Amino acid sequence: MSVAGVLRRSPSGSTVERADPRSTEPPYRTWALVTLAVLGVALIVMPAAFGMFARAPKGAVMIGEFRPFMTSSRLDGFQQDMSEVNAGVQQSQLSVGAYLTGSSTPDLGGGAAFRTEFPSFASFAGQWGAIDADMTGLLDRVQANLGNYEAVAALPSFRLFPWFFVVPGVLVLVLVATLFVSSRRRRTIRWVLVALGVGLVLAPAVFQMFGRAPKGGQMMSAFKTIETTSNVETIQGYFGTMAVGQGAIRLELVPALERKGLSPSEIAARFPAVATLDARWVHILNDMTPMIGAMSDNVANYQAIAALPPFPLFPYFFVLPGLLIAGVAIAARPGRRREDQVSPEPSEQPSPVGSQH
Amino acid sequence: MRYRFNPRVTLGLLVLVGLAFFVIPSTSADASGSGAKVLVGTFDLNAGSCSGTNPTGTYFRMIYPGGTIAAGKFFENPDSTCTTDQSYTLASPGSQGGLTNGKYQADPTPVFASTGSALASSIIEPQAFTQINFSIATNPTDPQTGLAVPAPLIKDKNGKLSGQVEAWSADWNNLHFNQGSPKPGGAKPGLTQAVSGTYNAKTHAFVLIWASAVVGGPFNGFTGYWHLQGTFKPKK
Repeated sequence: MSVAGVLRRSPSGSTVERADPRSTEPPYRTWALVTLAVLGVALIVMPAAFGMFARAPKGAVMIGEFRPFMTSSRLDGFQQDMSEVNAGVQQSQLSVGAYLTGSSTPDLGGGAAFRTEFPSFASFAGQWGAIDADMTGLLDRVQANLGNYEAVAALPSFRLFPWFFVVPGVLVLVLVATLFVSSRRRRTIRWVLVALGVGLVLAPAVFQMFGRAPKGGQMMSAFKTIETTSNVETIQGYFGTMAVGQGAIRLELVPALERKGLSPSEIAARFPAVATLDARWVHILNDMTPMIGAMSDNVANYQAIAALPPFPLFPYFFVLPGLLIAGVAIAARPGRRREDQVSPEPSEQPSPVGSQH
Repeated sequence: MRYRFNPRVTLGLLVLVGLAFFVIPSTSADASGSGAKVLVGTFDLNAGSCSGTNPTGTYFRMIYPGGTIAAGKFFENPDSTCTTDQSYTLASPGSQGGLTNGKYQADPTPVFASTGSALASSIIEPQAFTQINFSIATNPTDPQTGLAVPAPLIKDKNGKLSGQVEAWSADWNNLHFNQGSPKPGGAKPGLTQAVSGTYNAKTHAFVLIWASAVVGGPFNGFTGYWHLQGTFKPKK
């Protein structure tokens, strides 16, 4: 029995029925089935059209690689690192400079003699203000987006997102195809389609996407100027400058203090911020270097996600197709059979189109 | 009894012979037939020195992204003992004297001390780099990329050295940075330069240089420039 032999267009052209002589169910509206098929195809095609199969996994990688750093304690730790460096630099500039040059009044920058004797530190100290402002500002922005990050991280894995569209799309197509070729359980299939649509409508609510996706959008906006190659290179440059500066404090200023007769304990007592920076520098490197690495490694991942449609739209990518599928499936409800559409009872008179026994 | 020619057995033997030809390193000539000889032994390193006009011995420099090998900008290591130019980080030979040709000199276990300082000490002694020691190892699996890499292999052709140090890996601050040339997989990104150098067959004096872009991690985009100098010690 051919498909052509199975399907029969109604005289009005608005319904499709299978001329199954045993069918007691009414035929379906052609436009409804076609619309459902189009929606199914659209759901399948959409992830590919947006490049989600390539981009969404990169988002998952970025979220995963940021996870160790995106905690209150870790971010507070970075802020403390910066505060300790700042305190050490300020104390070196003012108090240590004054002590080493014998000045009674601390001079910002340590005075000309100090700058001449310790050019590496002086160079670093001259750059420190801008570095501190930039780095602290960056950390502030990241910390302000901790909640937004957590909201995004609480969503299902980005790797799954393309499949959240493809799987319903395939289901819709399978169900529509079933409606075409089988007269059995048409009402059930229609209600399954309605349920599928409702499921798509509810999915964003279940995953709290209405709240989380806009937060993700805010995070992406905030990271727009952070996750760039040039910004990462700037921070790498800061790192080099800070390393030189800390080296100057550790290897030039502290030995100079020792030459002045101060013991390590006296240096620690008189210049606690310098001693703290000296003692904590390795920890600061241990702490901050991997963060720079994560920032650097995720520039491409960030850009891949940024190329997706804006996060706040994502819930509606589920809701709109869901509403359409449910609505069309409901609208596809066959009306009462008109006389000219009613198939004869199988026991009485087989359909002329489908009667190829 | 008459011997029967079995094509499968013959093919298998041929494959085995072929594999052996490639896998077992030649002690005198490379497989390409280019005339380049694989030097079997260890490139014993001279410690880096800044006493002369130009640094000599074994050292490394790190070039900022956007820089050039010739002109930098170079990362300054405050712990460099090269006081005239702290962009040179001088190295001294490790417990095995230097780079053993054709063999891995793997990371120890653990790789790092609690401070993040590297503990590998076969090729070079760990050197302070911004207060945390870095060192070098060559592992069958590159620890940064997770890719399988061949053991370093340097060849000499009429006094000119070439080859690959794909497995050359710098350990620092609980991190691994592949510093090989070519990079694992054979690429030469950025300023990566092939291994080159000179070899005096009489005195065994050698100089090996290469550059390797850092791919990934906190120093992504930087380039390491490596200068190994010393005396080749043939395997007895």
